[in-house]
Amino acid sequence: MNDHCNVKVNDTVEKFHCNNGFSDLSIDTKKSERDTSRKEDEDKSYLGLHVLEGAYTSILRELGEDTDRQGLLRTPLRAAKAMQFLTKGYQETISDILNDAIFDEDHNEMVIVKNIDMFSLCEHHLVPFFGKVHIGYIPNKNVVGLSKLARIVEVFSRRLQVQERLTKQIAMGISEALQPKGVAVVIEATHMCMVMRGVQKINSRTVTSTMLGVYLEDPKTREEFLTLSQNP
Amino acid sequence: MEHSKQTQYSSNEKKDSGSVLNRHFDGMVKRSAGGTARAAAAQPPGAESGSHRPVMESWREDRTRSVEDNEMSLPSLAAAYTTILRGLGEDPQRQGLLKTPWRAATAMQFFTKGYQEKIIADVLNDAIFDEDHDEMVIVKDIDMFSMCEHHLVPIFGRVHIGYLPNKRVLGLSKLARIVEIYSRRLQVQERLTKQIAVAITEALQPTGVGVVIEATHMCMVMRGVQKMNSKTVTSTMLGVFREDPKTRDEFLTLIRS
Repeated sequence: MNDHCNVKVNDTVEKFHCNNGFSDLSIDTKKSERDTSRKEDEDKSYLGLHVLEGAYTSILRELGEDTDRQGLLRTPLRAAKAMQFLTKGYQETISDILNDAIFDEDHNEMVIVKNIDMFSLCEHHLVPFFGKVHIGYIPNKNVVGLSKLARIVEVFSRRLQVQERLTKQIAMGISEALQPKGVAVVIEATHMCMVMRGVQKINSRTVTSTMLGVYLEDPKTREEFLTLSQNP
Repeated sequence: MEHSKQTQYSSNEKKDSGSVLNRHFDGMVKRSAGGTARAAAAQPPGAESGSHRPVMESWREDRTRSVEDNEMSLPSLAAAYTTILRGLGEDPQRQGLLKTPWRAATAMQFFTKGYQEKIIADVLNDAIFDEDHDEMVIVKDIDMFSMCEHHLVPIFGRVHIGYLPNKRVLGLSKLARIVEIYSRRLQVQERLTKQIAVAITEALQPTGVGVVIEATHMCMVMRGVQKMNSKTVTSTMLGVFREDPKTRDEFLTLIRS
């Protein structure tokens, strides 16, 4: 354990649990108001599909396209299914996907999983944004299965999102599940709403980060994470 | 109609001497040159003729949508998007989503603005010049953004265009504008490549045209088979680019470098 952390450990751990100014955002990690059975979920999504199909058919017509031409015949159905897939994060919770893959391990050095490909939908224009997520955490006696970090990214990114909120939700999700000493999440993404339309800047990238716990308190820890997660 | 004049020229005069439109397209050219009245009548996208309109003619369709049409369809588009938001289980009244239906509708209209423009009149703008140049002209790495017509999800990539002028050259940005007008539609990459090539051929009657598109399809990357690094490459070679392997080689080498 790094000596410079020894003194502040307890304070830090307590601090970032209480510092839940984002408590309203952590609603998503618990499924309290969505406790429906799997069958009900499936029924709902089937009905949802019809509604979505109708909406997409109307969109195609309003755009001036011919919905009877061969290429577009089944497009409303495909587009509806695609949209449901791209927002499947709403049906998933942290506890479901972690699947008890939390292990007691006497390890308290930094663990980093970087270059996790992320695909999400901009909630303002319903257009994709995608990029890479780098996650680092310092375990506090328990470590999580590595793919679960990527799965946590999936749960929150497959929704209508804003990049800032996505970063924060991933960090909060990990910290609530593991209670580690610190969590750091950095996302670098390209927003199609800026590239394909509007200001049309093709090479622009948006970088957001969330530092919790010891990453927030200690600049050296933060620096170590940022150095290790950069790609040369 | 300007369309018919040009196709007549290419089908009658150029046919025998190293034809502008290679034999692959002859049938289509003859059909449209011979029945221009019929073509004109069939021009507006009739729902009744949709399924049995020959595929080869679809490049010719100028589905002209106007700015007024856009304004009129905006409320229904926004309503459809509100339905979609509800259908996905979201709350359209929350702050981040309040104006999303309108923004998404306007965005989608922008992504399909290719339907609003006419090639000959608006885009080319008479930027065709007589120039005694008969060496290859290439414009490469033209960024292209389109929408997959099957999933309504973006496609993006680069277009490389080369042509051998036949005494007439085109303003360079007009090649990029031709890419814009055909890519800002609900597309299939194969058709997009062909439409660009045929449009340049129609406008200029060059000795040959080559178009290569390399694109990433979000429908394959974000969903479905989810292969992040996959790219799709399509090409259309017309005229001397098709007939002469050396010309084609030169074009392909120059766009690689």
